[in-house]
Amino acid sequence: MSAPGKTEPTEAISRAKAGDAEAWGELYREYAPAIFRFCRRALPTREDAEDATMEVFMKVRDKLGQYDQSRSFTAWLYRVSANHCWDMLRRRKIRQDKETEDLDNVPLEHPDPSQLDRLIEQRTSEEVRKALDKLGARARMALVMRYYSDMSYDEIADALGVRRAFVGVVLLRARHELRHALEGTSALAAGRAS
Amino acid sequence: MNHLDEMTCLLYLERQLDRARAQEVSAHTQDCAACRTLLRALERESRLLTRAMLEEEEALPARLAEFQERAKRSLQWIWAVAFGLAATGAYALYTGYIEPWQQQLDQAGFGGTNLLSLLVFQGAFWKGWQSMATLLEVIALLTLAGVGAAFFRRRLRRGSALALVLAGFCVLLGVMLALPTAASATEFRRGQSVTVAKDETVKSDLFISGTGARIDGTVDGDVFFFGQRMEVNGHVTGDVIAFGQAVQIRGQVDGNVRFFGNNVTVSGSVGKNMMVFNDFANVESGGRVGGSLTAFAGSVGLDGRVGRDLLLFVGQANISGAVGGGIRAKGDSMTINSTAEINGPVHFEGHKAPVVSAQAKLASPVEFKKLERKPKYLNRDYYIWRVIWTAALILFGLVLLMLLPKLGREAISAAEQFGAPIGLGVLIFFGVPIAAIIACITVVGIPLGILAVGIWFLMLCCAELVVGAVVGNWILGRGRSNWEIIGRMALGFVLVRIVYTFLAQVHVLALLGALGIWMWGMGAVSLALYRRFQPVIAPGMPSPPPLPPNTTVGGVQPA
Repeated sequence: MSAPGKTEPTEAISRAKAGDAEAWGELYREYAPAIFRFCRRALPTREDAEDATMEVFMKVRDKLGQYDQSRSFTAWLYRVSANHCWDMLRRRKIRQDKETEDLDNVPLEHPDPSQLDRLIEQRTSEEVRKALDKLGARARMALVMRYYSDMSYDEIADALGVRRAFVGVVLLRARHELRHALEGTSALAAGRAS
Repeated sequence: MNHLDEMTCLLYLERQLDRARAQEVSAHTQDCAACRTLLRALERESRLLTRAMLEEEEALPARLAEFQERAKRSLQWIWAVAFGLAATGAYALYTGYIEPWQQQLDQAGFGGTNLLSLLVFQGAFWKGWQSMATLLEVIALLTLAGVGAAFFRRRLRRGSALALVLAGFCVLLGVMLALPTAASATEFRRGQSVTVAKDETVKSDLFISGTGARIDGTVDGDVFFFGQRMEVNGHVTGDVIAFGQAVQIRGQVDGNVRFFGNNVTVSGSVGKNMMVFNDFANVESGGRVGGSLTAFAGSVGLDGRVGRDLLLFVGQANISGAVGGGIRAKGDSMTINSTAEINGPVHFEGHKAPVVSAQAKLASPVEFKKLERKPKYLNRDYYIWRVIWTAALILFGLVLLMLLPKLGREAISAAEQFGAPIGLGVLIFFGVPIAAIIACITVVGIPLGILAVGIWFLMLCCAELVVGAVVGNWILGRGRSNWEIIGRMALGFVLVRIVYTFLAQVHVLALLGALGIWMWGMGAVSLALYRRFQPVIAPGMPSPPPLPPNTTVGGVQPA
């Protein structure tokens, strides 16, 4: 993926828009690894991620004519990917799985700052990735959109079909889910006295 | 002391709080260690999440790495279909037209020489032209090579198989064009009236251009003539190839005679075969053709003798002389007079039954097949071929749009303005063939003329497609992607052809409509090409200083 600040391949995009297959190939080679990783984080299995990556690029190829070149191609690509992954999950009726529904109704416990700090310090990236796999679809999708592809709250709200004001709640619940997955539900629930 | 809730801390970190609330949070964390710790923990959690997600612990699966290639391959069926159809078309063309012609030519005594090889590859046609490599030819070849190199440069760099194949063809074409420039010398004679005197012998091929030419002496080689009238009273040991108004062979030609012009008369002898494309051809009573006579002519008369077969595509044929082989003729009418002597079978396809004298000596009765003037729209094959050609042209357009998408869009866009493309189209439609003929007649421009006609024909094929795309745009609105444009082009093209096919049966004015479509499309393609290749002056470039008076290209003229 284009690193932050890296110039986007505008010439290749223009040529691809004009139907140049080679330019399209350049874009694919440039962006496929990042989009695959996005899908890998957002979807439950590796096979799903591979399918989704191919489908996203097919979709992008068809819709490239609609892309406004004055805006970021990377951001546009992530938006298409997020919409596609979320549609995939929704089609499988796991958008609101039981676990998430339950959690939505449970009031969030306030974490102990020191314990949370320690937990974060002790956990490795690999453990976090494993924990992510255990999350509900919406929680994982929200975290991936925000912390992998750096999408704005508006974009997340748009992709998930929720109000913007609710995005913070979704993200916070997702973090709690993640902590539960990392440590168990009660470890951090030491609630501070106010 | 009230602590900040986790949601507020998160929104603060993510810069989602309004300015006033953010300042409150900031002030609070100055004094509250617990909230500061929570903020720090949340921030570290965010970083951990980002790091964990961004890490590349898995390589791109091979299936995805190959996907692009597979996607590319998935489009290759289009090429396969295109080339398959092209091959089928070429095969149909060969078996339907070229092969029967070839057989007829063979029967007519050309002994393995077919029309194509005669015109294009045969040494007799090219021989002698080699030394005419003028500066213009070299420039034309270099231009062709330059255009080819510019076109294929990027594709060659990428190693596109198609580009390599096309480049190969270009190299072959270049070699073919260059080959004639690699042999012996030819004597040139130009002027109002060129003569080879009776006691003169030219020991090489002779190229003549002029109003009139008379060969009374001997030419030990081939004669090439471009002019109005030529008489051969002497002896030519090679072939005579003539483009002119009239040619008379009174003397002796040991080789072949190929004539393109108005009328040819043979009262002398031609050792080998004779092929004429003209209005009137006559072998007079003392005339003799040793091989066969092939004529594409308005009228053919034979009072003399032809050693082998007669192959005629003529309006009228009048046979009074002797034919060593058979006759195969197609045309309006044929008369075989009492003095005729024909040693082979006679087959005639025509509108009128042949008139055959009872005294004529024939090896077998004349076979006659009447040509029916059946309206073509009553013929089922007409519609089948219309469909095949429509599909083939759509595929042609598809291939062109895939190869040159930008130029295709520009041509369609140019066609949407009517005045300029139609005006330019009229000029190109009539002007290019005339210019090409002039170039060919002046010989030095033959490669250029052939190239111009080729490009003109290519533009003619594109013209209907471009107009079809405009019609498609009218119906469905403008397409953005290549496939949308191709879809609109196909739809519009099919509609145009359906309407035209119907109208062409109703009124002859439909033909004018078709001409209009061709001119419109050709003009649009020409405009797009012009806009693509016209020199662009870089912005900000200083304009050249004004030239002093009396300045020409060569410099300042003396006052």
